[in-house]
Amino acid sequence: MPSKRHSDESGETGIDLAPMLDFVMNLLIFFIITTSFVKEAGIEVSRADALTAIHRDKGNILIAIRPNGEIWMDRQAVDIRAVRPMIERLHIERPDDTVVIIADKASKTGQLALVMDAVRSGGIDEVAVGAAGGSGE
Amino acid sequence: MRLRRHFHNDESSGIDLAPMLDFVLNLLIFFIITAVFTKELAIQVQRSGAAGGKKESGSIMIAISSEGEISVDNRVVDVRAVRANVERLHALKPDYGVMVITNQNAQNGVLVMVADQVRQGGVENISFALSN
Repeated sequence: MPSKRHSDESGETGIDLAPMLDFVMNLLIFFIITTSFVKEAGIEVSRADALTAIHRDKGNILIAIRPNGEIWMDRQAVDIRAVRPMIERLHIERPDDTVVIIADKASKTGQLALVMDAVRSGGIDEVAVGAAGGSGE
Repeated sequence: MRLRRHFHNDESSGIDLAPMLDFVLNLLIFFIITAVFTKELAIQVQRSGAAGGKKESGSIMIAISSEGEISVDNRVVDVRAVRANVERLHALKPDYGVMVITNQNAQNGVLVMVADQVRQGGVENISFALSN
């Protein structure tokens, strides 16, 4: 009688969820660890090629500069004067973030310098210039 | 008898996992959707000094004019020759960094190419300033 009851019981409860739960938990932990909330610039620019460019793990605030000098941040075109307060806000939200400025090949270095200064005065010292075609690390 | 068996059953099965599983699955979907796997390719370039571009002692000077002409130590060179020049100067003064002084109308593509060449030449410490 006890063994019969046991088999009856397992038939009632259906599939054992425990292995699935383990698997889902592992997936969840993987995605939590690998996630990085990148602030996309919102436009594509043609980057300069550089063989020695390296992948930046924490470069997750992207600022794009178009050939005509327009600055794009967080999927919108912003004024140069708006860069500093935006960086300040993002820096308070996530102090680990670093900035990658993706300057178009044909954009001017004067504009790049202005953006770099704005980022630094906004509190983030780690600034890199985006490139393409590197071998990575 | 039937009711009692039911009770007994409930007790032995422990906590109900279904709500937790729902919650975990929701979290999972959220993280899958927000996950971004792209890592940005970039070159580290320091911004040095004010916009005046004052010269620092103790660095290899590379200038870029508004037309994209590159000069190392006041000699105009081709972009492909920057690496060799930096290698030579780096061998002479191993603790020097590189200072790239660009005209504000120079193109960023040239700046990145020069920075790339400098890194190939073995110098990682690159700073960048504007000339007038």
